Amino acid sequence: MKIFKTTYSYLIVATLMIFVTGCDDYLDINENPNNPTDAPLAGLMTNSTYETAQNTYRLGSSTSYYVQFLASPNPASSSDVMDEVSFDNTWSNLYNVMTDLNDLILKAEETEANHYEGAGKILMAVNLATAVDAFGDVPFSESFNFETITPAYDEDSQLYDRVFQFLDEGIAALSQDTDLPIGNDDFIYGGNADNWIKFAHMLKARYLNHLSKTGAYSPTEVLAALDSGFEGNGDDAQVEYFDEAYNPWYIVADNNENLVLGGWISEQFVEATDGTTFGVEDPRLPFMIGTTDDGEYIGVPNGAGRGSASEQGERSTLVTDGFYSSQRAPVLIATYAEQKFIEAEAAFSVDKTRSYNAYLEGISAHMRKLGVEESDIQAYLSNPEVSMGEENFTIEDIFKEKWITMFLHPEAWVDARRFDYAYENFDLPANLNPNLNEQFIRRLRYPDSELSRNGNNVPDVTLLDRIFWDE
Amino acid sequence: MRNKLTLLAFLAIFQISSIFAQERTVSGTVTIASDGMPLPGVNVLVKGTNQGTVTDMDGEYSIDVAPDAVLVFSSLGFEGQEIAVNNQTTINVQMVEDLESLDEVVVTSFGIEREKKALGYAVQEIQAEEITRTKQPNIVSALQGQSAGVQITNSGGAPGQSARIIIRGINSLDPTADNQPLFVIDGVPMDNSTTESSGTPRGLSNRAADINPNDIESMNVLKGAAATALYGVRAANGAVIITTKKGKEGDVKINLTSSIGFEEVNQYPETQSVYGQGFGGEYDPNSFWPNWGPSMDEIRQIDPDAQFYNIWEDAMQTGVQYDNSFNISGGNQKANFYASISNLDQEGILPFSTWGRTSARLNGELMFSDKFKVAGNMNYVISGGNRVPHDRFMERMIYNTQNADITDYINEDGTMKSRGGNTNPIYDARFSTFEDEVNRITGNLRFTYSPFEWMDVNYLIGTDYFSDFRTEITPGPMGIEGEVPLSSTGFITETRIDSRDINSNLFVTLKKDWSDRLNTTLRVGNDVFERDYERVDATGSDFVIPQFYDLSYTRQLSNDQDKRKRRLVGLYGDLMVDYDEMLFLNITARNDWTSTLPQGNNSFFYPSVNLGFVFTEALEIPDYLSFGKIRASYAEVGKDTDPYRIGQTYNAPGDPLNGEVRFSRDSQFGDLALKPERTRSVELGADLRFLENRLGLDFTWYKSNSKDQIIPVPVSATSGFSTFITNAGEIENSGVEFILTANPVRTDDFRWDVTFNAAYNQNEVISIREGIEQIQIGSQFGYVGSTVYTFLTEGEAYGNLYGSSYARYGADEDATHLDSDLPIIIGEDGFPERNTDLLILGNSTPKWIGGLRNNFTYKGFDLSFLIDFRTGVDQYSQYDNFFSAFGIPEYTLDRNDTKVFEGVLTDGTPNTQEVWLGQGVGPDDRNYGAGFYRNTYRRVSENFVHDASFIKLRNITLGYNFQENILNSIGLFESARISVAANNIILYTPWDGYDPESFSAGAGGNATGYTGLGYPGVQSLFFTLNLGL
Repeated sequence: MKIFKTTYSYLIVATLMIFVTGCDDYLDINENPNNPTDAPLAGLMTNSTYETAQNTYRLGSSTSYYVQFLASPNPASSSDVMDEVSFDNTWSNLYNVMTDLNDLILKAEETEANHYEGAGKILMAVNLATAVDAFGDVPFSESFNFETITPAYDEDSQLYDRVFQFLDEGIAALSQDTDLPIGNDDFIYGGNADNWIKFAHMLKARYLNHLSKTGAYSPTEVLAALDSGFEGNGDDAQVEYFDEAYNPWYIVADNNENLVLGGWISEQFVEATDGTTFGVEDPRLPFMIGTTDDGEYIGVPNGAGRGSASEQGERSTLVTDGFYSSQRAPVLIATYAEQKFIEAEAAFSVDKTRSYNAYLEGISAHMRKLGVEESDIQAYLSNPEVSMGEENFTIEDIFKEKWITMFLHPEAWVDARRFDYAYENFDLPANLNPNLNEQFIRRLRYPDSELSRNGNNVPDVTLLDRIFWDE
Repeated sequence: MRNKLTLLAFLAIFQISSIFAQERTVSGTVTIASDGMPLPGVNVLVKGTNQGTVTDMDGEYSIDVAPDAVLVFSSLGFEGQEIAVNNQTTINVQMVEDLESLDEVVVTSFGIEREKKALGYAVQEIQAEEITRTKQPNIVSALQGQSAGVQITNSGGAPGQSARIIIRGINSLDPTADNQPLFVIDGVPMDNSTTESSGTPRGLSNRAADINPNDIESMNVLKGAAATALYGVRAANGAVIITTKKGKEGDVKINLTSSIGFEEVNQYPETQSVYGQGFGGEYDPNSFWPNWGPSMDEIRQIDPDAQFYNIWEDAMQTGVQYDNSFNISGGNQKANFYASISNLDQEGILPFSTWGRTSARLNGELMFSDKFKVAGNMNYVISGGNRVPHDRFMERMIYNTQNADITDYINEDGTMKSRGGNTNPIYDARFSTFEDEVNRITGNLRFTYSPFEWMDVNYLIGTDYFSDFRTEITPGPMGIEGEVPLSSTGFITETRIDSRDINSNLFVTLKKDWSDRLNTTLRVGNDVFERDYERVDATGSDFVIPQFYDLSYTRQLSNDQDKRKRRLVGLYGDLMVDYDEMLFLNITARNDWTSTLPQGNNSFFYPSVNLGFVFTEALEIPDYLSFGKIRASYAEVGKDTDPYRIGQTYNAPGDPLNGEVRFSRDSQFGDLALKPERTRSVELGADLRFLENRLGLDFTWYKSNSKDQIIPVPVSATSGFSTFITNAGEIENSGVEFILTANPVRTDDFRWDVTFNAAYNQNEVISIREGIEQIQIGSQFGYVGSTVYTFLTEGEAYGNLYGSSYARYGADEDATHLDSDLPIIIGEDGFPERNTDLLILGNSTPKWIGGLRNNFTYKGFDLSFLIDFRTGVDQYSQYDNFFSAFGIPEYTLDRNDTKVFEGVLTDGTPNTQEVWLGQGVGPDDRNYGAGFYRNTYRRVSENFVHDASFIKLRNITLGYNFQENILNSIGLFESARISVAANNIILYTPWDGYDPESFSAGAGGNATGYTGLGYPGVQSLFFTLNLGL
C-alpha cells in the first residue's frame, strides 16, 4: 500500500512538472494574427496621403455651408445655421493621420529615409494647420507618443511656429539624396521630391498669409516663399480617386441623385457666379455644379430649405460628372491657382501690378484646371467686372475670385474669416443659431469626445471666439 | 442482470461485515404510494449506522439487521420514512411523493449533484415545467423573475432577439466585457455570446437561444463566486447550470408538444394626431418634416382628401409562432437514452422579421460495468432568420409623414413609394435583408471510472462548434426612371463566423468516511479550454446587374478577416467535510493560466471557503421550525480578458488602392503589464423552513469587490490612441436577496404554491486609476447637445446617466447630480436656459428586482402566474428625443400656445415673459425660428431620461391535465394536457413609450440605459397541447 502511495505521489509530481513547463508554450498564442506590430513606411505614406485628401473633404463638407457654397435642402439644418455641432469624426481623423505621420517621421528618421521624413513633415504641417485653423488651440506637444492620456492644449500661435518648422525641416530633408525614394505609395506626387519641395513652399506662403490680420504679417515673406512654390497647375497637390474608393463628393452627388439629399448649391454661390450679383456669368459654373431640369442654375437660401421645390430637378446640386464630384475626380489639397491669389493678396500693398497680374492668372489657372475653353476664359477675363484694371482693383476682388476658386475647400472658410465674411450680398443664414447673436461662426466647437475624455484641458470657448490670426 | 449480481455481491459484503450482530434478514418491496409501481433505487439505511442497501429494479430489497433496528427509507422526490424492524422479516413500504423535497438535491459545478443543505451558498433551481410554461423560445428569457438576484432583460421584441442575464449586478466596468454568467450544459460550458450586426442594430440572438427549452430537465443559477470557484475565470459572473433530460429505466416514453402563439405590441407611445406634414405651420406634402405643418383641419382646407394615419400601429402586424417538439426516451439497467426533435418558427410584429430553430438531440448513457460508465450528449441545431433593421425602421417611421398610408410602400414596378424624400421603412425591411443561419453542434462525452468504492475518476470532454453564416443585401437602383432606391449602389455582405470551443476536464474524487459522523470528499482536477474563432466578411457593392446579388458581380469589393484564439488551463482542488449531517465545510482552491494576459501576469490563484450549519440538527428547537441552516462563504475569483489586447499594433484601415495597402496605427493600446481582475466576495445567508416545510424563507446578504478592472478607457484621440486598455478601478456590489416559498393549501384535490423572490443591489465605483477622474463607458446620440453618457466616476454608482439639463437657480456649482426641485432659470429670451455641464440625471441599474409566482392545482387543472418587477431604474429614451424633434409626442400639441415658463430670471425674480412655442413669426411678431421643441426642448437630455421601473404580468398559464379515466377511455395516450398562456398582458410603468424593457445594443453590450430605437416589446398568447404516449 505504501508503495502505491509513493508511486502515486511521483506520478502526480511528474504530471505537474510536465504540465507547468508545457503550459507556457501552450499559452503563448497571444500575438495578434490580425494586426502587425510594425508598419512599412510605404503603407503609412499611402494612408497619410489618402487621409490628408479625405480630411480636406471632411472639413470642407461642413465649412462649405458656412461659406455658402452649399446649402441644405431642409430648413434649419445644423451646418447651415452654424449650430454647435460635435465634430468628433473630423477631429479624430485629423489626429489619426497626424499619429500615423508621427510614426512615419520617427521611423524615417531612424532608417534615414529622408524623403519619407520630409514628405511626412510636410503632411504633418498641412494637417496640424488645418486643425488649428478650425479649432484654435489643440493638443500637439504631448500628443501621439502616449506620454499622457490627457494631452495639454498648445496655444494656436505657437502651433503655427511648429507648422513653419515642419515645412522647413521637410524642405531640408527632401533636398538631400536618398537611398529610399518614395514611389507609388505617395498618392500626391508619386515620390517626386521637387514637387514636394514646391508644395512645402506654397504651404509656407499659405500659412504666412493667414497672418494677414496680425502684426506678424509680412507680405514680403509670403512672396519670398511662393517664389519657390508651384509653377503651374501641373504642380498641384491633389489626390485622384480610385476605382476602389470613389471621390467623396461623388458619393454625395450620387446619393443625392438617389434622393439621399445632399450637395445642394447655395443661392449665394449661384447668384455670385450666374451674373445676378456681379453682372457677369462665370464660364466655370457648368464644370462645377448641375442645373435644374430646365437648364437653369438655381440655389437654395442657407438655413431656409428648398421651400416648395421637389427633391430632384428643381435646384442646382453637385452632379456626378462635375469637375469636383465625378467618380475619380481629384480632391485638391493645394493648387497653383490658390497660390496666385495668395500672391495677389500679399503683393497688393507692395506691388499692385504683380498683385493684379497674379489675380488674373489665378482666375485663368483655375479655369484651365477645370477645362474651360480658352475663348471663354478670355471672354470672362476681358469683362470689366473682372478685369477692372489695376486702378480700380481692390482687395475685395481678390477675395471674391479666390472664394470661387476655393470651391468646397476648407481654406475658403479661413479666407471668409480673414475677410470678415464681407463678400458682396453675403447674408446670414435663415434660422441662424440664436447663440451667435446675429454673427457668423468663427471656429468649430471642440468635439464631445474631447470634452468627455480630456475635459480639463479643453479651452472654454464659444463659436464666436476667434483663432489667433482672426483677432 | 449483471448489475443485479453486482448488487448482490455488495449485499454479500454487507452481510459478512454484519454477521457478528446476531442479525436477521429483512426484505420487502418498496412501491410508490400513488400508483403502486415498484420504486427502484431507494436507499435503505439502518438508522445510526452507515450500513444499508438500495432497492433493485423491482423495488425489492433485502438487508440483515439487528431485531431492534430502525430502517430509514429515502429516495429523491419522496418523503422519507423510518420504520422499526420489531422482529418483522418482511417490511413493504409505500413511498409518498414529496414535491417540496425536489429541490433538496441540486446540480452544481461539473454536473455534480449535491444536497442543497450541504451548500454554504445560495442556489435556486428552476424545473423543466417552470421553464417551458413561460413559452419563451429563449431559455434566458425563460428565467425572468424566477430566480432571486438574477436580472434578465430582453433587448427587444424581435423574433430570436437576445436577452441579457446579469447576476448580482455588474462586476466588470469594461463596457465591452461580458458580465453574463457562464452557461454550462451537462457539465460542459457552452457559448452564449451575442454578435450584433456590424451596421445598424438588427436584434441578433444570444447563442443560448439555440437550446430547445423542451430538452431541459432543470436549470440552476449559481450566484456567488463561491458557487463557481470550480469553473474558474469564465464563471466569474456566476454560472447557469443546465441539465438536459435523460431516459429513465422502464418503458419507452414518447412526448409530443405543439403550440401556437400570437403576439402584438404591448404598449405604444402617446402620439399626437392633430398636426400634419410641413414646417413652420405650413402644409407641404413634399416636406421632409412629417409633423410640423398646420393642423389637419387647416390641411383639409387645402387638400380635402388629406388623411391622418396612425402609422405607428399600421406598420406593425400580429406576430405568429409555431413550436412543435417530439421526444422519445427509455432505458434499462445498463443503458438509457433520450432523443428529441423540435422546430420553432416565428414571425415578428415588424413586417418581415423572422426567426426559427430546428434542434435534434440525443442523450445516452451506458454502464459497461459497475466500475465504468460512459455518457454522451449530442445536439445539432439550425437557427436563424431574417433580421429586420429595427433601429433604422423606427427612425424612418419618425421621418415618415402621417398623411400617407405607411403600408402603401411599393409601386407596381417594384420600386419604393417614398414621401418627402424619406425611405419607407416597410420597403426597407422587405428588401434590405439580413439573414443568418447558425449550424451548431454541441456534444460531450463523460467517462466515469470507479476503481474503488472511495474513488471516482471522471473525464469530461465537450465541444461546442458553430458556423454562423450571414448574408446582408441592400439592393441598388433597379434602373427604372424616377425610382427612389434604398442605396445608390446597393451592396452584399457575406459573413462567415466559425467558432469552436473545446473543454476538457479531468477530475478525481476521493471519498473517506472517517467515522459515522465525519465524512470527507476531496476532488482534484485539471481543465483546459480553447476557443478558436474566425470571422471573414466580404462586401461587394455596386451591382452590375440589378437584383442579381452575388459578390462576383459587384464593382467594388472589400474584405475583412478576424482570427482569435484563447486558451485557459486550470488546476483545482475541492475539499468537502460533512460532520454529522449538520456542519458542512467546503474549501476550494484553483489556479488558472490564461493566454490573454502577458506572461508573468497570466497565472492566478484563488481560494474559496464556505460553511453551512444545519442548526435544527444540533439544537433543541420548537416544532414549527422544521429546518434551519445558516451559511457563510468567502470566495475569490480572477478574470482575464479578450485575446490580443496587449501593446500596440497597426491595421489596414481599408482596401488596397491602386494596389497599395494602407497602414494605420491601431486606435487601441493595451497596457503591457495588464494583470487579472480580482473579485472577492463574502456571503451570509439563512435557509429556514417552517410548519413541515410549508413555509420557507431564504435570506442572503452579499458583498463583492472587483478590483484591477480591465477597462478599455476611451482616451482623447490626441493621445495617439482612442482606447487604452488597462487595470483601472474597483467596483463594489452589495445586496440582499429573499426567497419566500409557501404552500398555503395542500389537500388531495387542491394545492396552492407561492414563491416570491426579491433582490436589492447597490453598487459603487470605489476607485478609478490615478490620473483618470472619469471614464466614459457608453453614450447614445441625442439632438444638439442632448446626447446622454454613462461615466464611471469615483464614489458614484455604476450606470449613472449624464446629460444636459435646464439650468437651475441656486444650484451648487460643484453639484454632480441634477437637483430638479430647484427653479429653472429662464433666459432673456423667455425660454428655459440650458446647462451644458453633464450632470447625473438617473441610473440605469435597477435597485430592486424580483418576481412572484403562484401555482394552483385543482384536480386536473392548474393555473399559474408570474409577476416580475424592477424599480429604481432610469433610461434614456432616444425615441422621445427624436419624437420631440419631429413633433410627434402628444405633449407637443401645445406647440401653438403662448405661455410664461415657470422659473426665475438669473437675478432670482420670477419669470413673467410671455413667449410663443411655435415656429416662425409668432402672434407677437417675434421670430421664433424653429420653435420651442426644436430650439430648446430637444436639446436638453433631462427631458428624455425617465423612470423605467415596471411591474409585469410576465406569464399566466391555465392548463388542464386529462384525468386517467378519460385517457383510459381513449386508450391512446398516457397523458394529455392542454394549456393556454399569455405573456406580458399587463404592464404597469411610468414610462411613456414602448415597453421600457428594451435596449438596441443587444445582450452583448452593457449599455442597458439606452433604449435606442429598439424593437418594440410584445405581449403574446399561446395555445399548447402536450401528449404522452
